[in-house]
Formats: sequence, structure tokens, C-alpha cells
Amino acid sequence: MSYKDLSKKEKTQVLKQLREEHADTVKRTQALLKEQNAIRKKIRGALGEESRTVTQVANIVDMPTHEVMWHISAMRKYDLVAEDGMEDFVDVLYKLVEEK
Amino acid sequence: MDINKIKADALVVGGGIAGMQSALDLADQGYQVVLVEKDPSIGGKMIQLSKVFPTLDCCSCITTPKMSAVANHANIQTLTYCEVQSIDNADGHFVAQILKKPRYVDEDDCTGCRQCEYVCPIDVPSVFDLNMTARRAIRVPFSTAVPQLAVLDIENCILCGKCARACPADAVDFTQTAYEIELEVDAIVLATGFETTPIDAKKEYGAGNLHNVIDGLMMERLLAPTGPYARVLRPGDGKEPESIAYVQCAGSRDETLGVEYCSRVCCMYAIKQAMLIAGALPMADITLYYMDIRAFGKGYDQFYQNAQAMGIEFVKGKVAKITEDENQNPVVRVELIDEGQVVERTHDMIVLSVGMVPQYNPGSVYSVGVGEYGFIKSPAPNISSTETNRSGIFATGAATAPMDIVDSIASASAAASGAAAHLEAVQGGN
Amino acid sequence: MTETSDLKNEEIKIGVYTCYCGGNISDVVKCEKVADALREMPNVVVSRTNMAMCSDVGQSIIEEDIKSKGLNRVIVGACAPSLHEQTFRGTVSRAGLNPYLYHHVGLREQNSWVHGNNPGEATKKAIRLMLAGLAKARLLKPLDAIKLEAEVHALVIGGGVAGLRSAYDIARRGIRVTLIEKTPFLGGRMAQLETVFPTNNQAREDLHDLIEKVTQHPNITLYTSAEMVGYGGYIGNYEVQIRQQSRGVSGDIAEAALAACTQEIPDEFNYGLTKRKVIYRAYEGCYPSDPAVDWEHYDGKPLDIDGKEVVFENTIKTFDLKVGAIVMATGFNPYEPPKGDYGYGELPEVVTLPQFIRYMGFRESSDELTWNGRPVRDIAVIHCVGSRHVAGVHDPQPDGILNNYCSRVCCTAALHQVNELREEFPQLNVYDFYNDIRTYGLEHEAYYKEASQNMVRFLRFHVDERPEVAAAPAGDTHPVLVKGKDYLTNGLEIEAAVDLVILAVGIIPNPVPELVDLMKIPVGDDRFLLEVHPKLRPVETPVPGVVLAGTAQSPMNIQESCNAASAAAAKVSALLAKGQVILEPFVAKVDLEKCDGTGKCVEVCEYEDAIAVKTITIDGKEVQRAVVTPANCSGCGNCVSACPNKAVEVQGWEVAQFEAMVEALAMEVEA
Repeated sequence: MSYKDLSKKEKTQVLKQLREEHADTVKRTQALLKEQNAIRKKIRGALGEESRTVTQVANIVDMPTHEVMWHISAMRKYDLVAEDGMEDFVDVLYKLVEEK
Repeated sequence: MDINKIKADALVVGGGIAGMQSALDLADQGYQVVLVEKDPSIGGKMIQLSKVFPTLDCCSCITTPKMSAVANHANIQTLTYCEVQSIDNADGHFVAQILKKPRYVDEDDCTGCRQCEYVCPIDVPSVFDLNMTARRAIRVPFSTAVPQLAVLDIENCILCGKCARACPADAVDFTQTAYEIELEVDAIVLATGFETTPIDAKKEYGAGNLHNVIDGLMMERLLAPTGPYARVLRPGDGKEPESIAYVQCAGSRDETLGVEYCSRVCCMYAIKQAMLIAGALPMADITLYYMDIRAFGKGYDQFYQNAQAMGIEFVKGKVAKITEDENQNPVVRVELIDEGQVVERTHDMIVLSVGMVPQYNPGSVYSVGVGEYGFIKSPAPNISSTETNRSGIFATGAATAPMDIVDSIASASAAASGAAAHLEAVQGGN
Repeated sequence: MTETSDLKNEEIKIGVYTCYCGGNISDVVKCEKVADALREMPNVVVSRTNMAMCSDVGQSIIEEDIKSKGLNRVIVGACAPSLHEQTFRGTVSRAGLNPYLYHHVGLREQNSWVHGNNPGEATKKAIRLMLAGLAKARLLKPLDAIKLEAEVHALVIGGGVAGLRSAYDIARRGIRVTLIEKTPFLGGRMAQLETVFPTNNQAREDLHDLIEKVTQHPNITLYTSAEMVGYGGYIGNYEVQIRQQSRGVSGDIAEAALAACTQEIPDEFNYGLTKRKVIYRAYEGCYPSDPAVDWEHYDGKPLDIDGKEVVFENTIKTFDLKVGAIVMATGFNPYEPPKGDYGYGELPEVVTLPQFIRYMGFRESSDELTWNGRPVRDIAVIHCVGSRHVAGVHDPQPDGILNNYCSRVCCTAALHQVNELREEFPQLNVYDFYNDIRTYGLEHEAYYKEASQNMVRFLRFHVDERPEVAAAPAGDTHPVLVKGKDYLTNGLEIEAAVDLVILAVGIIPNPVPELVDLMKIPVGDDRFLLEVHPKLRPVETPVPGVVLAGTAQSPMNIQESCNAASAAAAKVSALLAKGQVILEPFVAKVDLEKCDGTGKCVEVCEYEDAIAVKTITIDGKEVQRAVVTPANCSGCGNCVSACPNKAVEVQGWEVAQFEAMVEALAMEVEA
């Protein structure tokens, strides 16, 4: 029987069981998610006031520029930030995308 | 009938350009083909590329229609996210045990709408984009994936169930488990492809720790319209590079890495990328440091001459070391052969033209002979390059040697020709 | 066809799709504007864009729209029709639509690629082209492809390694093959090699294994001294004429004739280094083993054989064959430098690499390498002779073509030869003048490495400063001086005194102008036969059913030639295994009511038996009407313009469709 045919209760049970089977993974990814959420919050904060470059964001959130670049690229991919022109012709400015 | 048992004429292992071409050529001759791909989508390395030399066709223009042709061919059954576990001989046939990995998504119900992907809270590095951006724990592998189905990566999942609740087709299925498929065929074509030499292999070139030193495949992604930044930027800080240099033979013709051979594609992809960058960033200076430019294919040397005419600087020189200045700009220490001197030059970005190594060791599963460097070896490399030492098993494309797309396609059709002749012989007519 | 009647009264619903082509189009053309402009037009039900319409996702969108929105016409603006028109015909067909209710608009080759400097106008042009496509789409009618029985029989032209490989692979699929070879012997250029890279096998041993398989295969009929001289028909049903010269000698008389013959000419097998008789074997062990008379050179004089005067007669046999497909394996020639180039043809110590390979093949083995009776101690090898020429530096060839391509095999072949020499004659000193060493294959670099470690002195020239070869002054220790600059040592002037100069000459296609003319196969600007597309259809020519194998297409080594030949075999097998071929329905169609049998159409028709005036019966009356044989018609439209009654149309390209397109192209558009 596939997941969609299960009752709500059974679905919860399946997930619970899977979580037990993959306890280490879940622990690791939950820690990762927590860290990621904290970083994203800081980046959103830095972009909240005005459009900024990766270097500017990195200075505000006190993180290496390449890590900020990765997060901004990820956020851009999922439509959470967007490009907003260039600074000094070589540095891309990013802005937050209004939540729909 | 037990659905986990399949009979066909031929098994093609690997859904890259070579495997797809072999499968199509066999299927077009009327043979039933099963194509097994370990990833969730067919397309192989080629689907990651931007544009291809020497025609500068966009890569999608060549790959995606072939993917579609495979998916829609009446004589081809595609098994994605599957791995061949073993091959046995039985009654003159090959019997392959294939492991179907769980997608945790129902293949019949999923419509590829990506709503699960958008609600998934977990971002992990996207291997498709060489880790330059993220993907979600559940995602459609890429925009032109075939099949266009989501796949859940249980190793990075917190099992929150958001995806299942968001799915309009109720397709997320946490009850899925791996299962085995038994496939009986009379011929096998191995098209298991290649990997690039690792970017961190060479410590003289920063061992992968310099953020603005990338490899050729990363630049392919940066140049692709669906790339991680949708433009060419430095991964180190998001700045647009104004001076880009290529270091050729970074991972080929290099005894210290155990890769003594020429990887055959790097000169041409570097020249092509240089031309594409010149189009994307018209003000950028582009330099190639090389020892020999090997533009040997049809129309390739003319392509090289065009690149020279465009103002791309080709410098005969051996790069000894790459370091970084305080602004994350890579600094190359290079022996300029023509001038006979060693200089240091600073660029905004360096692309290592990494080479090709075999993706897969066929050893225990297929027991076919491999050569010194791990590529599958033919007992008659000149006359029958796609044969292996096992009758009925053929090998093609970059699984047999580094080769470009044009040569892989020729090799793939040749393997199909060999497999078809074998089928004709053992089955006595089709 | 049922759809015809269905469509007559049906509302026309058109889906319009504008492809980004992964940036190829969208970098120049504002695709969204194009889609917006088209969306407003009558009959357009949906107008969309996609990054790659040809992807499975893109095609699924079209299929879904056809099903859910009831589209009955589709146009896609994308790359050239030659690339993906067929792809999208398949798409609409899968969704249940007649494939000819699809129209393809070229927005890349015909627009974005040529108007990159003017995006505004390019977008306007894209809109106009799409409007023209739309105008045509409104008038599209469902058509049926032409299905024809195919001859399950292939002709392979060329008995070198590629032709042999192709013939063998096709035959093994149960398809009959006729292999023709122009010379009296099989084997082609490979027979002239000694050991070959990367196996170091004896070339003729590998070759003879293959020849044996070919000659013993029951599906293969072989003709040597044979050429194709006539050609007609179409895919699946080519009618070709073969002309075969007789061998002249055979059986008992052959050996005696060979012994008795005294007339000699330069031996092409040894590239003129030796002579051979006009009754000859190409080499010992050749296939077929019987000698042959060289009719071109035989002086016609009688030979005394066992006391009898014998004159040899060339009985030429001409016969017709019906074949379904043709493989072009017409091969290559080594480049021959013009007299005086690098001293070639003037200094006896300057030879080409193929000549030298032959020399090593036929010389008596000895401890010392000699040339013209002199010991050879110093050798110069010069690369890229006849290859990689650059405009402004090199002159074009006598035919006006610049040899600007790389010949691919010469670097590894030269180094392989040099290594063998160094091994056999360790005291030999080798200078290697090169530009780039292109030992690109998996096992090729090892030859370069071995040469470098084995005292071969590499000297790198710049393309505009190729080395110069001249006779040494009288009394010098060596007969020849090679001068050049070495950019491995900062442009140092080098003067190498040598005993022998080996020119690593390139590859030029074996010229086949008669075949190209007959068959209308396109030739690239490098003279090689041209494929449709290097990745999508790499061994197919635009002539349906005519495929390419080996060095007729481009320089290739043996492995690559064999792969290409097997690939060609795969295409032929796919084509003929079904016993049926499918042709496009874009052929002339006569409206029998308007036609009154003037025959004007027949006068202008350039194709044999494509249209003829015949007596047919209409309503019990015998009348004269033009009748089309679809398989022979190319759809050129000559007949359409010649008909005084406007009774002929080319299906799929009707006059009304053209008029609608022209009108649409003239519209004012905004972008």
C-alpha cells in the first residue's frame, strides 16, 4: 500500500518509523537546518534595508564572502532574492523578493 | 507476470550521450532495449554543458531531444535511479540484477510541478551545479530532466512531511523501498562515462581551497542559461571577473596524478568557453596557458583560429603554482616558454581545464578487461574498438577512453552496430 | 484520411511556441515580446515560451496543450528546421495530430545568429517570421507520408578499412551488401602501413583478418576494379550502374604473365619510391591474390607466355544494381607537397612520412639505416606539412582552398615512426620540428613521452616561421640543412644538418567529383564530404540513405574510421531492416479537374519520371492528365509555375500558403 492510501494517523506513524530508522541523518540535517535558518535570517536582515552586494552582506553578517555567495545563489534559485543592478559595473546587487 | 522480471534484447548501462545514442540505434533497428541510469534523470554529463564546440549549438538543442527520443521510443524502456548489481550468464543469456533505488515519489502520479521542492526547508549543495548553489532534499533534478519527476534524497531529509502535504498529486511516498529487477538480455552495452579529475587533486593549484579557481565543468554551469548565478561571477565573492585565465592540462598529461594521457576535450572546451565568455563579458581579458593546443577534430583548428582572431590570448606556458592575493584574486606563477622567463600574473578568476578519468570500475560486475588507467579496453582497439574481452558485452564512449561528444556518438553507434550483429548471430534474425 | 473531413469545418486552433534556445535566441530576441505579439492574433489559442522547446518538458507542454485546448495546428519558432522540425512533427503526432499540421519557424540561423548586433530589429523580424508561420499554419492540411518498399541491399563504395568494416557490419545484420573497390585490390591506405599505433600491431595482419571476414561472408558481393558510373532513384530504391574492368589475367596464366611482363611504371603502393610491372600484385599477400593488369598503363604489346604471343584485353562489364542505401567510404590521399616545398621533389633526401613508412617496409633489413646508399645518422621530422595553414601566412592550394584543418593522425604517426627508428638504430639523431604535438588519444601521449625521453630533440616553430629546408653547401658533412627558430629555447636560431628530412604530411580526401556530382552530396570548405550535423546526424548526408564512413568525411585514424564505418552500418541497418522507407509528402499534386494535359509541367521537370502526361479515365471518358510519381518528385515546384491552368501544387507548400506568408511578412510590427 502506498503512502497516499494511508490514513493521517498511519502517515504520521510511517514518518515516525522512518525518522527512527534514519535517526542519525535526521539529527544531522536538523542541526544543519537550524544553522541554515540562522544564516538566512541574518542575510535577509542585511538585505532588508537596501540592495547589497555579496561583499557588503558578508561584512554585515560577518561571514566569508564565498559562503554568502552560496546562500544568495540558493535563495536566488528559489526566488527569495533577485538581482537589482550592478555596483561599480562589476558587483551584482541583490534584493529580497516580496513574499507572495 | 512478475513485474520485477523483464526480458529484452539489449541492456545499455548509462544514460549519457553515448548510452542514449547506443540505445536509439539499437531500438531503431527494432531491438527491445532497456536503458539503466544510476541518476534520477538521463542526460549524463552532456546535459550540464552550456554550448558545444565547434558548432556552438546550445547543449540542450542536442541533448534534450535525444533524451526525449529515448523516453518516447516504443522499443526503449528507461530505468532511472537504478544500478546494475550483478551480471550472470544463464542459458546463453545475460541475467542482470538491477537495484531500483527508492525515489520516495510515485513515478505514475508525480507531474514534476516542483511544489514539493519549493516547500522543502533543506538546502544542500547541488552536485549538478558543482556545489555552487543549492538544491532541496526533494527536487526535480534539473529543468529538462527525463523523466520529469521529483526525487527525495533521504540522506538529507529531516522527514518533516511538508512535501507530501504540498504535493497536489499525492505522489510523495514514504513507504517506498529499494527493490530488485531481474533483466534477461542477449547483449550489453556499457556506457558508464567519465568523471573529471578532481579540482582538489593538485596542491600546487590550491587543492580546491581557492574560491576563484574553478574547473571547466563549473565554468560550463556558469555559462549555461540555467546556471547557479545565471551569469558568470566569481564564486568567491560574486564579482564579475574582468580577467580570466585557463590553465590547460590541469589534471592530464600529469604523472604526479597518475593521469599521463591527454584528456582530448580540454583544449576545445577551454577555447569554446573563452569564446562564450568573450560574448558574455565583452570587456574581459581572456588568457589560455597551454603546452600544446590539440584542436584535432573536424572544424576544430578553424575554431581555434577564430578564437585567436577574437583576441583571446594564447600563451605557451607551464603554470607551476596558483596562489591568491588579499582580494581573493588568483595569482599564477607561469613559465612563459616563448620568452624563456618565469612571471607571476594576477587574474580575477582561473579555470582549471581538468581532464577525464573513468567514472566506474566495471570489475566485479561485468568482468570486462580494463587498461592501465581504468578505461574499458578492447582486445582489438583499432578494428573493433567497442568490443570487450567478453562476447556480447560492448563498451562505448568515455567509458573506453577520454573523448568528445562527436567521437562518443560515433563510438556509441559503432557499439550498437556490434551489439546488433551479436544479437542477429545469437537470436538468428530479428 | 479522416482528419481531412474533420478539419474542414473545424475551428482552427493554433498553438504558438517561441523557444529561447538556451540563450541562442533569447540573448538577442525578446522572446516574451514575440509570444505576446502572437498571442493577440486570430486563431491563436495559446502562445508560450520555453528555455528549450525541444526538451522533453517543452514537448510535453505542446502535447498537453493539444490535448487540453484542442489545438489543431502548432508552430514553433526555434532553430533551423533541419535540426528539429522532425522532433516537433513527432511531438504533435504523439498527441494525435497529423504531423504535417506542424510548421517550423527558424529564429536562430535565420535571425538571432545573424542579427546579434541589432536586437531591436531582430525581435521585429522574429515577430514577422512567426506571423508568416502563423499565416501558413492556418492553411495547413493533413498529409500522409509516402511509404515505399525498400531494397534490403546496401552498396558500399570503397574497399579500404572503413568500407570493409561497414560492409561486414551491415552484412552481419542480415542485409545484402555489394562492395565496390576502384582499384584491383582491397585494403586501401591501411595496407600501406607497417606497424600502427596504439597497438603496434602489423597493419596488414589486422586488415587481412577483416578482409577474410568480408570475403567469406555470404551476404557480401565484392567487385574490384569497379566504380559507380550511374545513379538514380531515391532512398530505399537507388538504381546504380557499376562499371567493372576485367582483371586481365587469372588462373594458370597469371603467374606466367606476371613473370613475362617487363613494362614498368612507378609503384603507387610505395608512393613512387620503387617501380612495379603493369601486370602486378599491390603487395605480397594482397586480396584478391590474383595479379591484375594495369589498363591505364599497359602498352597493349603482346607478351611471350610459354611460346605464345598473348595480348591482354580489358573487357568492361557494366551492370545495374538496385540498392536501398549507399555508404561512401571513398577514403583519403596523403597530402603531396608542391615541388620545392621544404625541398620536396628537388632534394632526394626529402620524403613524406607515408613514403618513409613504405621505405621501412621494403628495405632490406640491416644494422645501419641508409638512404640512397648513404648512411643516415641525422634526421629531421617536420610536422603540419599541408595542414593547419593560416590565411595570410600560407598560400591556398591550387584549387583555391586553404588547408586550414588539422589532419589528426600525423603527430602520433610521426612519433610512432621516430620511436621505432630510435629503437632499431639507437645512434640515430632526430630533430622534430613541430608547432603543437597532438598526441590526443588515450595511448598516444605515451609515444610523445617515449620520444621525449629517448633523445628526440623537439623544436617548436611558430606558425608563421616554418622551418626551411635547403641543400647543404658542397663538401658539407650532411646533404641537407634545416633552419628554423626554436621557441622552446627563446626563439634560438637552429640549423640542423641532416641526412634525411621526413615531412609529416596531412590528409586530403580522395577526390570523387563524379560521385559528388551524380549524387549531389555536399562538400565542406575543407573538401571533405559533409555530414548533416556533427552530433545529431554525424554520418548521414542530406541525401537520404547516403551515409559517410571514414576519411571521406574528415581526417581519422584507423580506430576512428572503423567507428565511423560501424556507425554508418548502424544507420543503414536501421533504415533497411524494416524493408520499408518513409518519404516526406512534399511532392507535386495535380488537380485533375483543372489539368487539361498540356504537358508544360513535363517540359520543365528536371527529374526523371517524376511527372508525365498519361491517359486516364474520368467519368468513363479517356482524358490526358499529368500524373506524378511521388517517389521521384523532389517538390521543387517547377511544374507549379509552368502550369497554365494552375492545376499543380506542391503539397505542404501551396501557392496560397506562400501568398499568406508574404502578406504576413509585410506587416508593420512593433517590438
